[in-house]
Amino acid sequence: MILRGGGLTVRYPGVAQAALCGVSVGLGRGELVAIVGPNGSGKTTLLRALVGSARLDAGQVEVEGRPLADWSARALAQVAAVVTQREDILFPLTVRETVELGRYARLGSLAEPGAIDARAVDDAMDRADVRGLATRRTDTLSGGEWQRVRIARALAQEPRVLLLDEPTAALDIRHEMEVFELVRRLAGEGIGTLLVTHHLNLAARYADRLVLLDHGAVVAEGPPAQVLTPDVVSPVFEWRVAVTSWCDGAPQIVPLKPGE
Amino acid sequence: MASPASKSRLLIAHLPGVGDGRSVCRALAAAALALLAACGTRTGTTAGGLVVVDDAGDTTRLARPAVRVVSLSPATTELMFAIGAGPVLVGRTRWCDYPAEAKAVPDVGDGIPPNIESVLAQHPDLVLLYRSPQNVDAARRFREAGAAVLQLDFNHLADVSRLARLVAPLVGHAAEGDSLATSLDRQLHQLAATRDTTHAANVLIMAWDQPPMVIGAGSFQSEILTLAGGHNVFDDVTAPSATVSIEAIAARHPAVILVSDTGVPGFARRPEWRVVPAVRDRHFLHFATPAFGRPSPRAPALVRALRDSLAAAR
Amino acid sequence: MRNRWPWLLALTLVSLVLGLALGATRIPPSAIWLGLRDASADAAPVVRQLRLPRVLLGFLVGGGLAVSGAVLQALVRNPLADPFVLGISGGATLGAVAAISAGLTNPWGVPFAAFAGAVLTLVLVYRLSLVAGRRLDSGVLLLAGVVVSSFAMALVTAILMLVDATRVQNSFRWMLGGLWAGSWTTVGMVAAYGSVPLIVLMVRARDLDLLALGEEQARHLGADPERVKRLAYLATGFLTAVAVATSGAIGFVGLLVPHAVRRLWGPLHRALLPSVFLAGGGFLVLADAIARSIAPPVELPVGVVTALVGVPFFALLLKRRLA
Repeated sequence: MILRGGGLTVRYPGVAQAALCGVSVGLGRGELVAIVGPNGSGKTTLLRALVGSARLDAGQVEVEGRPLADWSARALAQVAAVVTQREDILFPLTVRETVELGRYARLGSLAEPGAIDARAVDDAMDRADVRGLATRRTDTLSGGEWQRVRIARALAQEPRVLLLDEPTAALDIRHEMEVFELVRRLAGEGIGTLLVTHHLNLAARYADRLVLLDHGAVVAEGPPAQVLTPDVVSPVFEWRVAVTSWCDGAPQIVPLKPGE
Repeated sequence: MASPASKSRLLIAHLPGVGDGRSVCRALAAAALALLAACGTRTGTTAGGLVVVDDAGDTTRLARPAVRVVSLSPATTELMFAIGAGPVLVGRTRWCDYPAEAKAVPDVGDGIPPNIESVLAQHPDLVLLYRSPQNVDAARRFREAGAAVLQLDFNHLADVSRLARLVAPLVGHAAEGDSLATSLDRQLHQLAATRDTTHAANVLIMAWDQPPMVIGAGSFQSEILTLAGGHNVFDDVTAPSATVSIEAIAARHPAVILVSDTGVPGFARRPEWRVVPAVRDRHFLHFATPAFGRPSPRAPALVRALRDSLAAAR
Repeated sequence: MRNRWPWLLALTLVSLVLGLALGATRIPPSAIWLGLRDASADAAPVVRQLRLPRVLLGFLVGGGLAVSGAVLQALVRNPLADPFVLGISGGATLGAVAAISAGLTNPWGVPFAAFAGAVLTLVLVYRLSLVAGRRLDSGVLLLAGVVVSSFAMALVTAILMLVDATRVQNSFRWMLGGLWAGSWTTVGMVAAYGSVPLIVLMVRARDLDLLALGEEQARHLGADPERVKRLAYLATGFLTAVAVATSGAIGFVGLLVPHAVRRLWGPLHRALLPSVFLAGGGFLVLADAIARSIAPPVELPVGVVTALVGVPFFALLLKRRLA
């Protein structure tokens, strides 16, 4: 397990119900795990708890076997990269400059970037398919392009773990598929990816495991076929669904209209 | 230097009551005289009363001389005492410190702008204000409360005798006001005539050093200096004061620097000021601020003292 | 336009030359040059003791204010921030006005009092913004700055109401700000006190790039936002305090110069901070040269010139679209 969270409990001040209650989740090398669930089920909170952005009321997180508290921000950034849901651009940079910021974890404040860094940046931009946008300013990009640039920046950190919070929210079919293809490829290269997504069907086709959250607790966990059944999905999402099968064997959710 | 007092001549004539033909002729003559004099006049009379036009252009009428006067500037307070009208003062600003008797007059706060309440608490029938945009509203409020109000420009030496003539009748001391003004005019005229213009020393009057502020030709302090036979190195500055650079001061080669503090002024110890020879050689002349701080009847004495000091410093 | 350094060096050179050439006395260029080289020349005292230190002070103060502004804009993530947004000029003004009103005779009394006031507000705002333990919250920082500044200025007004007209006038003249205090002593002090924060900020330039993305992003990329914020806040605060104590609160340099430089050449701090230093320094020296030369011997407050010159120039920059 490259990333493990055990018994994670997070309470937001002034809110009666805990955002996360005793959630345990693990990520192995080369695994693609999708965290799914209805709005407000705690998916983003879980991600934040795993990277230390949310204060834990209970539980612990271990990265590569060591407690999260033992990791300095810089050391952690060399292992784990995070792409949050949204990011505002206050001072626009070029795409290349943005991706280069991902090298901070390796370079620190002072070191001069060398050939290794240039290669890592080019590599990251290639994989995220933003090489052609290298000289564009970030405030001239579309939502999808900006998303991919941020993924490139995360890849420039050369992480072993990638955590993505709804990376395909603003993307069209082509770019959405490209992101899933990308993380699948990365998994093949040994990078573990934890993906929070609304897209149950694509998660079903790409992820090795699904973790289904509801009201801050894990309701089901395991291979997609095991998790995505009508008896499990309908009560959690509070909507009647049917499940079909795609030719690759992955379950596909079809929400039913009221009469069906 | 011609006395500007000649510009505003006061004529008080009492119109007689209805009576015989001689009175009517006298009345007509008086009225004609009044009309003629009114062309260059500031103060006149109406039926048994006093009329004044102040420096703001407003006309004020008093039925009889004022007996409860609030003076809202140190210069007017000093002037009032000088014309013998000290007893009618019922209020002064907290900055009015001369003469010593002024301290006995009740303190009503600041002069610009004044504290309306504390002034009106003294129930004045005449308020003497320093003319400034900040005092326009106060003037209006005092008038509404029933007091007569004069807004006065009191910035130049000439204003002392001019205002002595203007204000004195309103407080029933017309004769003292006139004699003070005449004496002052005479003394200043004489001082101007006996001025040694060939050996005018280059003098800098410094007000402040952070930033360097100098007194220009528009200030009465500059007038005093000129009468004393000195030459204000910044007499091309028409304003009363201006911010200049040390370089500008050095360029004008003052031989003497007039300062208000005693001892070597603080700024003289800063290295950049040593470029000015007068600072480097400590050619300072000290003039206590209160006496030098406002146009007053003490001006001729000040001029004489300064004249002596400049001669000694040469 | 692409390569910034020729332009910035040209600006520096032009400003230094004009700053030395212009002044209350008309000195021909050859005499200025002679005065610089030969201590016994006629023009030497004026050029060496007055003009040169004043120009250098202007450069250091302008550069320092511009760097402060640039860093603060990243720190509070607000492009409208200027070096005085965290209350430092209020504290300095309070110190200076208190000293002026008390009639301090020591020649360094007012600048030291201003510096003390500035540092006091720096510490006060810092303590106020430490909410929830050790966290330095940017939003609270801004709020604390506004509050402390208003408090300081209220005290200033109260003092001015109580003192006589001369001290009031002197205080207002000081508050307008300017480079009258240019001497080798002042230049030395500003260089000594100002160089440490400047170096610290330039060394941490990359961290500032990350901080500008937002604290959470910065942490994900490996930075320590709390430490960077603390450092940035204290360094800019100190830098601004030094500038304001010697020259009063000169406006627009710290706000406009960073924007202009970012717009022309991008926001990465490694190159931004030195560029902004040169641009701010040159800008202020030029503004001061103009302020001294419009209506001699009277000097316009330099803050008036920075506004009148800076704002139209900036408007022009806003219209240009640079790829």
